[in-house]
Amino acid sequence: MSIASTANPPRVGAAVEPAAHEDRTAFSFLLVAGLFFVVSGLVAIIIAAKLQMPTLLGNVSWLTYGRLRPIHTNGMLFGWLLAADMGLCYYLVPRLCGVKLWSEKLGLATLALWIVIILGAVVTLAMGMNQGLEYAELPLWLDVLVTLAWVMFGVNIFGTIATRKYTQMYVSLWYIMAAILWTAFVYIVGNFGTLFTSGVNQANLNWFYVHNAVGLIFTPLGLALGYYYIPKAAETPLYSHRLSMIGFWSLAFVYVWTGAHHMLHGPISQWLQTVAILFSVMLMIPVWTLVWNFLATMKGQWHQLQDNVPIKFLMAGTVFYLLTCFQGPMHSLRTVNAIVSKTDWIVGHAHMAVLGAFSFFAVAGAYYSVPRMLGTRLHSQKMANASFWLWLIGGLSFFVSLWIGGFLQGLQWNDPSIPFIDTVKFMAPFWTVRLLGGTLMFVGILLFFWNLLMTYTGRHERPAVS
Amino acid sequence: MLKKVDKSSALFVVAAVVFFWIGGLLTTVAPPMLDKSWAKPAPALKDYATLAKEGDAHAAQVMEGRAIYVAEGCWYCHTQQTRTIEADTIRSGWRDVPSPVSTPDEFVYDQPHMFGTRRVGPDLSRVGGKYDAQWHATHFRDPRSLVPGSAMPPFPWIANDPQKLDALIAYIQSLGRSKDWRPEHDYEE
Repeated sequence: MSIASTANPPRVGAAVEPAAHEDRTAFSFLLVAGLFFVVSGLVAIIIAAKLQMPTLLGNVSWLTYGRLRPIHTNGMLFGWLLAADMGLCYYLVPRLCGVKLWSEKLGLATLALWIVIILGAVVTLAMGMNQGLEYAELPLWLDVLVTLAWVMFGVNIFGTIATRKYTQMYVSLWYIMAAILWTAFVYIVGNFGTLFTSGVNQANLNWFYVHNAVGLIFTPLGLALGYYYIPKAAETPLYSHRLSMIGFWSLAFVYVWTGAHHMLHGPISQWLQTVAILFSVMLMIPVWTLVWNFLATMKGQWHQLQDNVPIKFLMAGTVFYLLTCFQGPMHSLRTVNAIVSKTDWIVGHAHMAVLGAFSFFAVAGAYYSVPRMLGTRLHSQKMANASFWLWLIGGLSFFVSLWIGGFLQGLQWNDPSIPFIDTVKFMAPFWTVRLLGGTLMFVGILLFFWNLLMTYTGRHERPAVS
Repeated sequence: MLKKVDKSSALFVVAAVVFFWIGGLLTTVAPPMLDKSWAKPAPALKDYATLAKEGDAHAAQVMEGRAIYVAEGCWYCHTQQTRTIEADTIRSGWRDVPSPVSTPDEFVYDQPHMFGTRRVGPDLSRVGGKYDAQWHATHFRDPRSLVPGSAMPPFPWIANDPQKLDALIAYIQSLGRSKDWRPEHDYEE
């Protein structure tokens, strides 16, 4: 396995004079994302509590579970994670290209539009303006604005890449470019293609979108961050360029086929279910090559896990990614699916992907990059470390309790002599542990946001040590 | 080949898009063309949207109820699919008669589809006609009064509005009725 030196993130002092980066767009995006993280986290705790206390907050229509749940999911996916990923792209793409961001003005305009979209989403969802499709709840005018914002983001990133000074494109750039293109298609199918279809045909497009929102939006963006920040934060070269190529192109080909695994045993063609299962199992190829690459990069550097906070997040995120992407193919097997599908097991799985894996990568990027954007040091390493342990302990108790509870509930559902309501009451202790775990994670979110805010306000008092 | 893609962003874009669209087209556009059953309605399936436009008052009520079901996010906790799993057919069944599994022809007019992914509450694909209107009215006002331990919240702004309540109940009663499988047509109206 050869290690091409050109395959690493270019270092300052390379042949090309590094550009002076403004990073205004990057930082503003991250700060706004952090704020939405706090809000979506608060909503998360409320709805987790409502499962056991349905009348919590009274009988107000816009505070019921059915109205708050889409605010939580859309808030976490688009308000927090996608905005944070975009912010970090605005930071690392110029650095990987050796030039300034194509346009800071366009970047800030994109952020302004993004804020309008998120606020619009909160108001319309609270009012019950829900299109009835998972992750595609927003009204048409907001879908149009999201598309516009994505084009503005794409123009800025591709504009930067087109004017780059380093000819060879590092892996992170492939993932970011691909994510921009794939997201455009996936979003259009999921939000506009569904307008002209109904029944099973529409459901198939809906699951294509839901699955690929995670697989072809958050996965490539998250992996781009992993590829950039693991070598950077550990100050060590990437293990293998060839493995990253295999990982990328196999992901590009395999991921898109799997949407129908959301309808296993359901009213959709058996052969399409089988195709989805086959490709779901094949997903282990891109996943395992990538995880091998990430872990091998850390060879000889594992001592850094002790006090390097971004590395802690990146390695825990890598393990969560491996686990969540092992669960996925297993869930798609018909026998396993008959037990876990529609239970809380899947909820645990989904949270491990979005929070455990991809949010960990984004948070690592924020802790590493925000001080560098502002020419300062992080406000508090201790607080950052505390947020890691809160998320790890909170997250694990959340995931594991839902897996155990969900699996047992799935077994109970398969015994029709047990009344359904008994299987709901059975979940009470697991839901309690989940709520406690979620509360720990919420404290972690507060510490994260506070740390970013204090790093900004105190930036002049703590100049960066060069 | 891959080495070139590494250095030319134009070549990269073409390759990434082609790789995506092979699976993209074969799993979205191709399936409804290959499996015609997705678009062929079951003989007894009612197209409530069209009936409502033609002035059918009951159909209009069902459509209004469906809109409430969508807006309130009922589908986050209730699926509408009796899967090809024996326990599903028994749970969807009635008086010891297992229900038939859900098939694509029962959902041809569903826009948006309401298959759902999560069962916090029970599946509703065959709930139509199982409980009478009074039961549903009480249940929407206070689910725990009928089902102690239920995770479902009360919906007073629907229960206290006769038009909305009747519409939602009309929709619930319409679910799963395109297959007439119960002994002696044992349905509540």
